[in-house]
Amino acid sequence: MTRYIIRRLLQAIPLLFFISVILFVLMRSSSDPVATMGGRRVMRPEDRERLSRQLGLDQPLYVQYLYWLIGNDWTAIDVDGDGVAETPGTQRGVLRGEFGKSLVVRGEQAMDIIMERVPRTLLLMIPAEFVIILFSLVVGIFSALRQYSIADNVITAVSFVGYSMPIFFIALVSMYLFAVKFKEWGLPYLPTVGMFDPQMGKTPSQVMLHMVLPIFSIAFISIAGYSRYVRSQMLETMHQDYIRTARAKGLQESAVVFLHALKNASLPLVTIIGLDIPLLLAGAVVTETIFSWPGMGLLFIEHVSRGDVPVVMGILMLISVAVVLFQLLTDVTYAWLDPRIRYE
Amino acid sequence: MRSFVSKLLIATVVLSLLAVSLAACGATPEPQVVEKVVKETVIVEGTPEVVEKVVTEVVETEVEVEKVVTATPEPTNKIVTFAWTQEPDSMNWVYSNMWFSSILQQLFHCWAWEFDDQNLPFPRLVTEIPSMENGGLSEDGLVITMHLRDDIVWSDGTPITGEDFVFTYDMIMDPANAVASVYPYDYIASVEAPDAQTVVVTFSEPFAPWQSLLWRGVMPKHILEPVFEADGTIDEAEWNRAPTVGCGPYNFAEWESGSYMRFVKNPNYWAGEANIDEIYLQFVPDDASQTAALIAGDADLGTFPPISDVPILEAGDVKVMVQSSGYEEGWFFNFRDMASPGAKDVVVRQAIAMAIDREAINQDLLLGLTKPVETLWDPIAAAGYVSPDIEPWPYDPEAAKQMLDDAGYVDSDGDGIREDLDGNPLTLIHGTTIREIRQDNQAVTQQYLREVGIDLQILSYDSDLFFGSYSDGSPAALGEIDIMEWSDSTAFPDPDQNYWLCSELPTDENPWGYNYFGCDEQLDALFQAQITTIDSEERVAIIQEITKYMHDQVYWLGMWDDPDMWIVGPRLTNVTFSGVTPFYSIIDWDVVE
Repeated sequence: MTRYIIRRLLQAIPLLFFISVILFVLMRSSSDPVATMGGRRVMRPEDRERLSRQLGLDQPLYVQYLYWLIGNDWTAIDVDGDGVAETPGTQRGVLRGEFGKSLVVRGEQAMDIIMERVPRTLLLMIPAEFVIILFSLVVGIFSALRQYSIADNVITAVSFVGYSMPIFFIALVSMYLFAVKFKEWGLPYLPTVGMFDPQMGKTPSQVMLHMVLPIFSIAFISIAGYSRYVRSQMLETMHQDYIRTARAKGLQESAVVFLHALKNASLPLVTIIGLDIPLLLAGAVVTETIFSWPGMGLLFIEHVSRGDVPVVMGILMLISVAVVLFQLLTDVTYAWLDPRIRYE
Repeated sequence: MRSFVSKLLIATVVLSLLAVSLAACGATPEPQVVEKVVKETVIVEGTPEVVEKVVTEVVETEVEVEKVVTATPEPTNKIVTFAWTQEPDSMNWVYSNMWFSSILQQLFHCWAWEFDDQNLPFPRLVTEIPSMENGGLSEDGLVITMHLRDDIVWSDGTPITGEDFVFTYDMIMDPANAVASVYPYDYIASVEAPDAQTVVVTFSEPFAPWQSLLWRGVMPKHILEPVFEADGTIDEAEWNRAPTVGCGPYNFAEWESGSYMRFVKNPNYWAGEANIDEIYLQFVPDDASQTAALIAGDADLGTFPPISDVPILEAGDVKVMVQSSGYEEGWFFNFRDMASPGAKDVVVRQAIAMAIDREAINQDLLLGLTKPVETLWDPIAAAGYVSPDIEPWPYDPEAAKQMLDDAGYVDSDGDGIREDLDGNPLTLIHGTTIREIRQDNQAVTQQYLREVGIDLQILSYDSDLFFGSYSDGSPAALGEIDIMEWSDSTAFPDPDQNYWLCSELPTDENPWGYNYFGCDEQLDALFQAQITTIDSEERVAIIQEITKYMHDQVYWLGMWDDPDMWIVGPRLTNVTFSGVTPFYSIIDWDVVE
């Protein structure tokens, strides 16, 4: 197992390098950060030329990538445009732990900007994932144990409706219903946007109150999908011989369902969760945007639209690393849960 | 398995609780933030009209607050929330051209002169606006002398002096600082401060539109000079992100990335005391969410509502205020060599101007909040500069058809699209950004032009691609689009504009050029003349000639004026805006419950 893990980690190095090259080329080819710096007016050519030079965007693409990767503190750059590279570079590069400075929030290290958002994204995404897992299991098991009952049919119908709805629709409808309309009708209502009400202060209760609608929006669609998955896995498992044997031995139904059936049915679910966990870092782009939740998804949207290569690359590489690591962790967990699986 | 699931659940719960606690602990506002709650309660209790429902709600809230917040608030603060679509990229005005960043300056910063709701300048840091009459502007237009007030101070009590202006100029021009724009400071030969209250600006050649462009802020030398001396640049100065020393009616208090920004009243502000104690900027990037927040009362001020939301907002007791800011939405025609023949033909351009019912577009698409415009120069603020001889293009599709017929554009193959004398279909490519109203306008105008036999191919791009440079392959810069639509302003309210200069054509040799339209030598000469003509009457005459010439040639076809749109919630009173310095009167704003 140890050799397997080491081999997988070594394989990840060229993979991440390859990913970084592709992402960097795509990012730089598809956007011009300076074009968005003019505000509502078109930027003056003299300013555009100067800023491109000062921010190092006038360099060939491979040079920009090289600086991003290994830094430019080993060379000099031409800041004043006289054709002479006289100013020492200050960038240290990704390989030395520096993703570069943001082109939008000038002077700020990209990783500092990202790490400021990570806790807020996790604050939203971890409870959301918890809600998704919990409700998917409850709904899926309930549905499987009552196959073709009225309750099962209703759940199935709601699941399909939920799964087919776009998240922005659920988010906006829930906001208008539970925040705007409930207030209008004099009912207890939820807040629309942000993490807290400035009139109330940033208290834990305020933050939790502001989490309700975003989590509902994120969870609703996922529960609809995952519960179907749990249901089908449970149905398959419940018809296995060993379940019949367990029942024949006189085990309580709860023990049959939760100890024997769920354990085996949940194996594929572990894979799905394993894939989900690294994506928690990415945040929920649509939900965070609609509810103005200051997480990674919103950060990504704001900075990708302005071509902020250091920040966007930082986010993407962070997610890439997390995906690689959690894939490995999922595989290891899978072997741990199912003794039949062996890695050589 | 059960233990694994249990561990997973426990870990998840612990992480969640930890995260909630951490998030709630971070940057908790000062005690006075919560003080407002109690005051509101008192006011509500004294308002019998709304009594029962509101009192119940507030009492419940109060109980909840008491459970959580340990510091008991005092009933003193007036707090308002602005829904802010874009998070500012910098708080230092020289590092940002972003509209949502620059308009904030009037909260915590100060200009030499500001502009009122009629977009007329009034002195702020100076005793009077320099002019030839008061001796502030030299006869040759090269020297501007400004006299500063003797009572102006930074929020930490340090006097604002001429040295701050000199330092500001030095920082903008220093190549070590990657500022957003050096315009128009690169036209200046020197800035000197012969004494603490005097600033002398000397231009290398006359620069007429200085009033619109100079001193849109000053930097505190006593804060930033040590940074520059230590780092060799102020690019990474803490002040750029947290300008705790300012000179406006409010002091910057905190900025939580992606979430909010907070300003508190500046007790050292020399121009008076603001009525509102604290201003929160809640970053709300989604338009629909902004609408919901304003209707629900979670925000008191918003900007640029989707036009389709205006009736909903107004029904929700929220006011939409329109303020002319010099921006005009229009079509820029490409008459360069690579453009389609039709776009280069003035007859086709004139026929297009008459084939589109711009009044109907303003009424139907923009709900009558805007009006058609004839020139890029604002019809109100720059009225004196717009030629009085301009006759607005009428909506007259029959006349447009006749003009095209007379010029030889006829539909020879019966497909509804005219062909030119060489048999080429009269097809034009129209490109714009992905802004919704522009795409709607594309669809509508496509139908109008189809009716007179012109085929309009419509394309839309992300703004960074659309406004990209020639070297980046921007389709506009490369000349691949015949008609480009966006909203722009001349320097406002003074109508400078130079991107029709022939020298600004983008080429391999001049990849940063931003004249995406074409070179007209007569127009070029007029633009060259206006920028250096100091005599105001003579300059007005030149710009009037420019407006008339461009209108008749249809180099630019106005669709609608593009004013600033503010959404004002029912709590705010005494609200007025300027199109240049929107928050010029913020100290007079107040709150009613």
